[in-house]
Amino acid sequence: MKAAAGLRGRNRHGWLMAGPALAGLLLFIAVPFLMAVGLSLTNLRLGSPLPLEWVGFQQYERIFGDPAFRRALVNNAVFALVVVPVQTALALGLALLLNRPLAGRVWFRTFFFMPVVFPMALVAVVWQLILAPGAAGPLNALLGLATFGLWEPLDFLNHSGAALPSIMLMSIWQGAGFQMVILLAGLQGIPSTYYEAAAIDGAGRWQQFLHVTLPGLRNTLIFVVLVTTILAFRLFDQVDILTRGGPNNATTTVMFEGVTSAFRRQQVARAAAITVVFFVIVLAITLVQRRLLREEREIS
Amino acid sequence: MSAAIPMGAARVGRWTRLLGGLALGLATVFFLGPVLFMIVGSLKPDELVLREAGSWRAFWPTEGSLQNYRDVFERVNFGRFLFNSLFITGAVVAVGLVVNSMAGYAFARMRWTGRNALFAFVLALLILPFEAIAVPLFYMMIEFGWRDSYQVQIVPFLANAFSIYLFYTFFLGLPRELEEAAEIDGAGPWRTFFTLIVPNAKPAFATVAILTFLVTWGSYLWPLMVTSGETYRPLPVAIANFKTLPPLQWGDIMAFGVMMVLPILLVFLLFQRWFVRGVASTGMKN
Amino acid sequence: MSGRKCSVFHWSRRPDRRLPDVSWFFHDEITAVSVHRTAAEKGLSGADPSPNLRDVSSLKAPSTLRTAALGLVLSILLLATAVFFAACGPAQRGVVDEEGRSVVEVWFHSGQAPERDTIRDQVARFNQMQDEIRIRLTLIPEGSYNAQVQSAALSGDLPDLLEFDGPFLYNYVWQGHLIPIGNLLPEILKRDLLPSIIEQGTYRGQLYSVGTFDSGLALYANRARLSAVGARIPKGIADAWTVDELDDILARLAEDSPGGAAIDLKLNYEGEWYCYAFSPILVSAGADLIDRSDFQRAGGTLDSDEAVAAMTRLQRWFADGWVDPNLDDAAFIDRRVALSWSGHWDYHRYAEHLGEDLLILPLPDFGEGSRTGQGSWNWGITRYAHDPRAAMKFLEFLLQPEEVLAMANANGAVPATFSAIQQSPLYRERGPLHLFVDQLEHSAVPRPATPAYPLITSLFEQAFQDIRHGADVRTVLQRMARQIDQDIEDNQGYQ
Repeated sequence: MKAAAGLRGRNRHGWLMAGPALAGLLLFIAVPFLMAVGLSLTNLRLGSPLPLEWVGFQQYERIFGDPAFRRALVNNAVFALVVVPVQTALALGLALLLNRPLAGRVWFRTFFFMPVVFPMALVAVVWQLILAPGAAGPLNALLGLATFGLWEPLDFLNHSGAALPSIMLMSIWQGAGFQMVILLAGLQGIPSTYYEAAAIDGAGRWQQFLHVTLPGLRNTLIFVVLVTTILAFRLFDQVDILTRGGPNNATTTVMFEGVTSAFRRQQVARAAAITVVFFVIVLAITLVQRRLLREEREIS
Repeated sequence: MSAAIPMGAARVGRWTRLLGGLALGLATVFFLGPVLFMIVGSLKPDELVLREAGSWRAFWPTEGSLQNYRDVFERVNFGRFLFNSLFITGAVVAVGLVVNSMAGYAFARMRWTGRNALFAFVLALLILPFEAIAVPLFYMMIEFGWRDSYQVQIVPFLANAFSIYLFYTFFLGLPRELEEAAEIDGAGPWRTFFTLIVPNAKPAFATVAILTFLVTWGSYLWPLMVTSGETYRPLPVAIANFKTLPPLQWGDIMAFGVMMVLPILLVFLLFQRWFVRGVASTGMKN
Repeated sequence: MSGRKCSVFHWSRRPDRRLPDVSWFFHDEITAVSVHRTAAEKGLSGADPSPNLRDVSSLKAPSTLRTAALGLVLSILLLATAVFFAACGPAQRGVVDEEGRSVVEVWFHSGQAPERDTIRDQVARFNQMQDEIRIRLTLIPEGSYNAQVQSAALSGDLPDLLEFDGPFLYNYVWQGHLIPIGNLLPEILKRDLLPSIIEQGTYRGQLYSVGTFDSGLALYANRARLSAVGARIPKGIADAWTVDELDDILARLAEDSPGGAAIDLKLNYEGEWYCYAFSPILVSAGADLIDRSDFQRAGGTLDSDEAVAAMTRLQRWFADGWVDPNLDDAAFIDRRVALSWSGHWDYHRYAEHLGEDLLILPLPDFGEGSRTGQGSWNWGITRYAHDPRAAMKFLEFLLQPEEVLAMANANGAVPATFSAIQQSPLYRERGPLHLFVDQLEHSAVPRPATPAYPLITSLFEQAFQDIRHGADVRTVLQRMARQIDQDIEDNQGYQ
């Protein structure tokens, strides 16, 4: 009897403690997500006096028939395919550079990490000037200097080939420090005895990197790659502030299309469909990562 | 962080060291250049910011003054935006810590019916980024009549699956003896949690606080959609809007930027170790 | 929002006192971590629990307890605040203030600095000169104005008196947000208004909005630079440059210019600018945004050969590098370019920098005569206004000749009333800006009166950007026409 009462008491406390958070998650995440699925099957437009109708998969047909949306998918994928390896390699390089006895190590770490605390909106505004067109633009001037004047000044953000890379560049600037710190922690988690053993076996520095460092960082790297890939698909702030998806959809993204539909064109149902597609992509990426992690467990 | 000395330091050649130094130098220029450019720009007369941007003078305030900072305060209610950002971020961090740590504890250390199912629910939400629900949430908030307010920027972000998960993993690692001792003292689960667990979980609290802080402080998409006037506008939306507010004066915009990042930069420099440790620990959870 | 009674203004003076004290996270971490470590190292391996207990008790220092409690209290305070804000939502919007005056909420676009100052000043003076009505002003960012109106409308947050850009009227009426004001507006004021204002404010036979100013769009030119390349200077609308002539002048100006740019199209702007400034080109070429006979189809009009030809000519200006990106909004005053395609709002700044060199010319003729934009921000009373008469009182005040002139002087816009125009040294006959009045009477094109307009302008902005960046003009226009037609069909013709 006493035990049962105690259990009931524990039950109550457990529910009470987890309750506020669970209520929040349910109301502000789970319910809206289910709403997105539901709304995507309607014709809902903000403010329209016309009656709401079920239209089945019409919104999905439309977004996939829209070249801008298809371009957005491609852009997100390209962004991920470039930024993820480049940023990870840069972060890993920086982490390796800092993972050794070095005067002013903390200073360098501070410098590299500093952009992480910059809100993306501010990064975009500052980089708009850095990417300014004409010879007076800092990046143009720098490239001119580096190529001894051979560089033709570009209007980066309005050049269909340069706009997306420009956005990638500022994203890397802002994000690399975050990854570097995670990788640095990962590096320090690799026991130095592994390196000593490898050195005794006659492994050179490159071989040590390949056979000790990389395997030791495997999980950290997978995590970093996953987070960056998902971030790549969430790309919005820079695009909204700098290019509004242009030129010629060269920088439009799934989120930008969604927000433009919902907020600027009142097409909530269409935006909901975009949201669902976005979620499916994120889910797919996560599942692939799970698979990679499981494989490793089976090997070990 | 303890300095691990991995690759046989003795064998590092002069060339390698030189290359390493060069790489560090280049990286420093890459990461610090834009910051310096912003600070210097904020001290210059507006028309010089763009005109001198392509020369070494971009990094040297030839006619430095604080006029741009005065202009910002004259042109917009910067104090209001700063307060809004501080208030919203403060509220999300503080209430979020309480709510999510309690949930993390309940999942990690208490037994109650429905726990496993609900924890699976939390794990499922873990992979749902905010962007995936922004649109329906926007619609829902409008229906609630919450548009353009503080609560619309605070309440939906209090409960956070990732924070719960971080707390959960941390609490799992705490020694059972903590609670056993408390039980001997006759403390209930609430007192145990607030007097014993919380003081022993400061690293977890710091991690969650810092990550929540970074995300909330920089949030742009959501406040863009749900605020209209200046009353509840936070800094990221304010700077994007300030950029389009005529007359276009780059010096003022840079000054706005400096003031916007200064508080967080100070917090970062003061508590850098915690930032680094907090960020690093997110990667360790796998 | 201004619609709420609850204000947190008094907090903003001392924000620091309300901030949660986070310093307690950052002390004692070493002890905490070490406990964590020792415990983890020992694991559950049946070690003697007493040392751990000792560790634990040493941590129960009263100061830690107090800070933890403080953190909790602060959190609860914040949560309570959130609930408090939730409680004073828009449901309790102010109808009467503490002094018993009828409160009228007003939204105004945050335009040019002098405009903002003027409306603030007008509100202050109006509030002071009578004691029955209190105006509460909110400035809304221009870039997302319509989006804000739409979401405010849905949550019942719209102000009593709403300023909005003219062509959005038809959509707002269709959605049922505005009430007709024809009966509220005194006849004498109505007769004083420019016909273009009445035209813009009328939908389906009812007057819904009036403006205190109309707009002017023109080519500002640098006289010295034009004569340097031997360009003819048009005298009025009738002898505006043909587009061939303009092409030729641009080529010569570009050669003459150090940076190679010849014209400023205000590419630094966002939003409504593009449809306002460049859709008149379509009309001048014999095309349009939409077939205006019944506003049911854009296809066949927007993507007609004439439209494609006109926009292709525009595209060439970009391809040839004749258009300054204007990132600093100073292309014209820095004399990087000799022409600036811009609106009345730039007059004062340009006049100040160019002085006697400043010329104001009509837009070029793309075949069917020079055409220009018209319409501007204007005022409507919303369905949610608790006292429409009070809102109209303020509107009447704004339409007094002195007030019309005050605003017109601040933003350089065309005064909306004849009485004000006569008093304006800038706009009256032979005034430097009389061309704008002339245009409004003869060559201005209203933007299409259809509820689909918000979509049309949003699509046109994108189409313009695409054309700017070299996309195939016909494809872009066809796609845009298809999207408009689909929207009209989706909305059952906006009947």
